[in-house]
Amino acid sequence: MPILWLICAVLIIAAIGFVIGRTRAISSGQGDIRNLHSLPSYYGWNVALKSMVPAFFVLIVWLIAQPLIISSVVSSNLPETAIPEGSSAGLIMSEVQRTSNGVSAAVISGDLDSAVLADSAADLSAVTEALKNAGQIVTTELTQPIWDAALSYRSMSNAGTTAMWVVVIALAIAGAVWGLRQTNADFRARNTVETSIRYMLIAAASIAILTTVGIVLSLVFNTIEFFRLYPITHFFFGTEWAPSFSGRGGSSELGILPLLWGTLYISVVALAVAVPIGLFAAIYLSEYASKSVRSVAKPLLEVLAGIPTIVYGLFALLTVGPLLVSVFGEGGYLGVDWQGGGRAVMTAGIVMGIMLIPFVSSLSDDIINAVPQSLRDGSYGLGATQSETIKQVVLPAALPGIVGAVLLAASRAIGETMIVVLGAGAAARLSLNPFEAMTTVTAKIVSQLTGDSDFSSPEALVAFALGMTLFILTLGLNIFALYIVNKYREQYD
Amino acid sequence: MNDMRLIDRAVDMKDIKIAARDVQVYYGDNHAIKDVNVDIADKTVTAFIGPSGCGKSTFLRSLNRMNDTIDICRVEGNILLDGEDIYDKQVDPVQLRAKVGMVFQKPNPFPKSIYDNVAYGPRIHGLAKNKADLDEIVEKALRRGAIWDEVKDRLDKPGTGLSGGQQQRLCIARAVATEPEVLLMDEPCSALDPIATAQVEELIDELRENYSVVIVTHSMQQAARVSQKTAFFHLGNLVEYGETGQIFTNPVDPRTESYITGRIG
Repeated sequence: MPILWLICAVLIIAAIGFVIGRTRAISSGQGDIRNLHSLPSYYGWNVALKSMVPAFFVLIVWLIAQPLIISSVVSSNLPETAIPEGSSAGLIMSEVQRTSNGVSAAVISGDLDSAVLADSAADLSAVTEALKNAGQIVTTELTQPIWDAALSYRSMSNAGTTAMWVVVIALAIAGAVWGLRQTNADFRARNTVETSIRYMLIAAASIAILTTVGIVLSLVFNTIEFFRLYPITHFFFGTEWAPSFSGRGGSSELGILPLLWGTLYISVVALAVAVPIGLFAAIYLSEYASKSVRSVAKPLLEVLAGIPTIVYGLFALLTVGPLLVSVFGEGGYLGVDWQGGGRAVMTAGIVMGIMLIPFVSSLSDDIINAVPQSLRDGSYGLGATQSETIKQVVLPAALPGIVGAVLLAASRAIGETMIVVLGAGAAARLSLNPFEAMTTVTAKIVSQLTGDSDFSSPEALVAFALGMTLFILTLGLNIFALYIVNKYREQYD
Repeated sequence: MNDMRLIDRAVDMKDIKIAARDVQVYYGDNHAIKDVNVDIADKTVTAFIGPSGCGKSTFLRSLNRMNDTIDICRVEGNILLDGEDIYDKQVDPVQLRAKVGMVFQKPNPFPKSIYDNVAYGPRIHGLAKNKADLDEIVEKALRRGAIWDEVKDRLDKPGTGLSGGQQQRLCIARAVATEPEVLLMDEPCSALDPIATAQVEELIDELRENYSVVIVTHSMQQAARVSQKTAFFHLGNLVEYGETGQIFTNPVDPRTESYITGRIG
């Protein structure tokens, strides 16, 4: 039976517990809620929470732990001979799991007679045929060890699931009973509910943090794996990026420097476009624009933030690139031959800068608006003009926030992928010419992992090392942003 | 300073610095100031008193066109500074504000060093020929603001790090540094403790030697202590204007008497 039903069962128990708890509370107060410590619904919630929370917690843990435990048991029982040459225990285990799930589905749909399951000497080619007919994905002909393993996998997970049902429902009922026994006029249900709400909020916050930890750990382990296969110095100091897909390691050159250079170059161009335009737009909107202009212009500017980056990529590829070529390319208006094709650092940088304008302007606008009016009044009162006031009083006061906004935009620029893929090309190159095609770390992560990639080769694992480098880079940038903000805040608050 | 023998206070008749004629101020449809006529004398402290919302701050702000920064505000009538209409189209409000300085209710030092706070006005108006000149202007302003001794060793520290009373005196020094002719003060002591208030009041009395000072205050004791002339505003009207001693001891209008004796307000 699906897990959804189990969830419904627990919810129903909790709902019944809520109603009983509430009624019990009212009757223990002789029908007058003023005799109770808390409002009746708090008693109900106390019961419902006590039945739901432990039950769901155990459910989640069980769902995660059961396949892991069963897999390890089954795979330890697999004979060495069951693993063919060129394959691994992991691949065989996924075959076992597929078979086991396929058998369950085929039995339900009627394509497979459940009697076969009891017979360990069943005709495997017939079973394979039946599974294929049932639309289950079985890649190869079943072998005896896999079939045995699949059967034991299936029986263990069936037993496990049954046990899970029993335990979870028992827990839900036990929790409800515990809550009901507590319910009497003097019980501080309100405080109990308050505490549990606090823990719920803590849980939500920890999920966000734990996810981050999980992402970092997966990056770290894969990166370590990569550095076992590929020398670390070549990765960090290699000036050539030339992965080969045919061979396994050895022939590939996986130096990060050209990619890092491309990333930084494009980001710098993007910020050079976005920061002045965004900041000036923010100053205009917050200081000069009348209310009606502001109410129209600000949402329009923020529309830019809603455009998908792939659309920006198309804009770079089809509009900005050819435009730049017609100016800087061969036979262009300037008569210089700097740019060979539409894909270039400049193309991607300019378009990325346009994408970042709303980030800079929207954040700076809020920050400038937060500068107290009294400072402006003080400056006007001394006979300063509006632009003098902005330059000498408002912007210095808003500086930490603006720096924060710019660094946030920088993080976005470093992590941007689509615009680079379409606008800057895929050639990893160390060059100073901004009109040449280059590529970035993110674009290369995509290209290393698209298509059929074998996750044990350095050519695929390098993506994790690249991702790790990028992560550390943006983390450093964010820490630096916080440092700047705090330093100035101390001085100016 | 703190004696209340108001009758004995000598008030010389001096030149008229600011003359307001039939001034009306509107906030949108709200008629905030009605038919105000007042002559503010040079080298005198003039106090504006009255209950909250009576328009005294609004009128003060219209004396250096600070109301221009509020979109919906409209001023009618004539306000003459040394005989020239400050609402004339020829007049640059920025230049006007350099001549008519302002100190605000809440101390508002800029997020800069103490030195740069005071040097702000002289710099934008080009009052100093060189660095030494500017140093001199800053020192003189800080001395006039009666804060020099407290800050002379930490001129490069942020002005926001000073205490509330010091900040307000810094703001006064900042206003003085631009060499204004008139100094407008909008409840300059309302955010200060009694000691800081006493220091600022003493300072105001000293400033009278060089400037015409107009101060808005909620404290009648303060008006009585620091001012030579007092104007009482009520519901947008200038009810009574005269010598401080006369207003506080022998008011003509019954509303003034009710206010200063605490029956309305």
